[in-house]
Amino acid sequence: MASQDVAKYLKESHDRIFENNREWAAEQKAKDPEFFTKLSAGQEPDYLWIGCSDSRIPAEQITGLGAGEVFIHRNIANLVCNTDLNVMSVVNYAVRHLKVKHIIVCGHYGCGGVKAALTPQDMGLLNPWLRNIRDVYRLHENELDAIADESKRYDRLVELNVVEQCRNIIKTAAVQQSYATNGFPIVHGWVFGFQDGLLKDLKVDHEKMLRDIQKIYNLTQG
Amino acid sequence: MGLSLDALERVVAGNKIYARKATEQDPQFFKTLATGQSPEILWIGCADSRVPETTVCNCQPGDIFVHRNIANCLHADDLSASSVVEYATTHLKVKRIVVCGHTKCGGANAALGDADLGPTLNTWLLPLRELRRKHKGELESLADDDAKAVRLAELNVQQSLDVLRKHPTVSKAINERGLTLHGMIFDIAAGELRVLDQAKKGNGLWTAPQ
Ligand SMILES: [Zn+2]
Ligand SMILES: [Zn+2]
Repeated sequence: MASQDVAKYLKESHDRIFENNREWAAEQKAKDPEFFTKLSAGQEPDYLWIGCSDSRIPAEQITGLGAGEVFIHRNIANLVCNTDLNVMSVVNYAVRHLKVKHIIVCGHYGCGGVKAALTPQDMGLLNPWLRNIRDVYRLHENELDAIADESKRYDRLVELNVVEQCRNIIKTAAVQQSYATNGFPIVHGWVFGFQDGLLKDLKVDHEKMLRDIQKIYNLTQG
Repeated sequence: MGLSLDALERVVAGNKIYARKATEQDPQFFKTLATGQSPEILWIGCADSRVPETTVCNCQPGDIFVHRNIANCLHADDLSASSVVEYATTHLKVKRIVVCGHTKCGGANAALGDADLGPTLNTWLLPLRELRRKHKGELESLADDDAKAVRLAELNVQQSLDVLRKHPTVSKAINERGLTLHGMIFDIAAGELRVLDQAKKGNGLWTAPQ
């Protein structure tokens, strides 16, 4: 494409967002004239969703949840790092202020971030972020190395990464203290599969995980 | 503990319905998705549940790469957001980056107040409070709290665009392949996206000055 064509194309596809948005807004108003007035009054989501930035997994659409129902954080490979102020602010706000009942960490098979972390290559600026995934591999080295099939090993790392991030969430003071007082939030680990569009529950046992980590990471005392 | 699982069951059931409907409409849908992603847009938005990007843009899975955090803040030293920007710009080669703030933003509201939000949120919102300090006169001249919060959200979007422009990969992509940056505000009460600066608008599109 000549550069002028590119500029025109960009403008058109960008305008599409606004047209689509107006269509969506009109549709919601037709269904419920009060929809946006109610929405505007505030949010009380039951869920915090921590997912991958991947464009193929818009949390609301794949769970059938509407605007106002799920608080969302998305980053590369759905990581929850102890020193990342970005995700820690989200968890803090969702637990302490919005008082969400469930926290869902959702990974997905075919994750480009996980794949990049398994690639023996200098990824520049991405190195420190992807390093967290390499650390998950090292924690589960024996299990992963025993899987002969490469794509199966990669799928398993996606799952183990989700479980590890669930553990990281449970390690936070916000979650431990709220759970001790209120009995929520409960942390869940899921993986989205492109084969069938379904979410696989990794059956993370919140209670047990909490007990296990509290031997070392107990932060319930204010 | 007596926590009802209803909320969770709803999501699980919702996902089953979604998967069935999507396959009914297009039996190849998930197979095609599984082959990879090539989104044109990176969306940096607020974690607020009322601004689901793909839904409000009436887009499809695969259209928008997403980072959402408290009050759609971009800090140059934030590794999470920088990694998203780097991956989207270098590897996915997105054509546009949208920073979208919104009305009634809890983060903007909190930054306008003086309450102690605890060490984590105090630190995260520090740049927003800094913006508030810089634009004290203008913000105080505004009639009500909602208007103040919208103005602070706008200033925050502009600041995020500034951070983006200084990101080495982004500035390279702007010069070499015409990547464009866009600021928007989602008006929750209207359900509509608004371009940040109507005065510079062309074709419903606001492009940050380079
Ligand atoms: Zn991913
Ligand atoms: Zn917000």
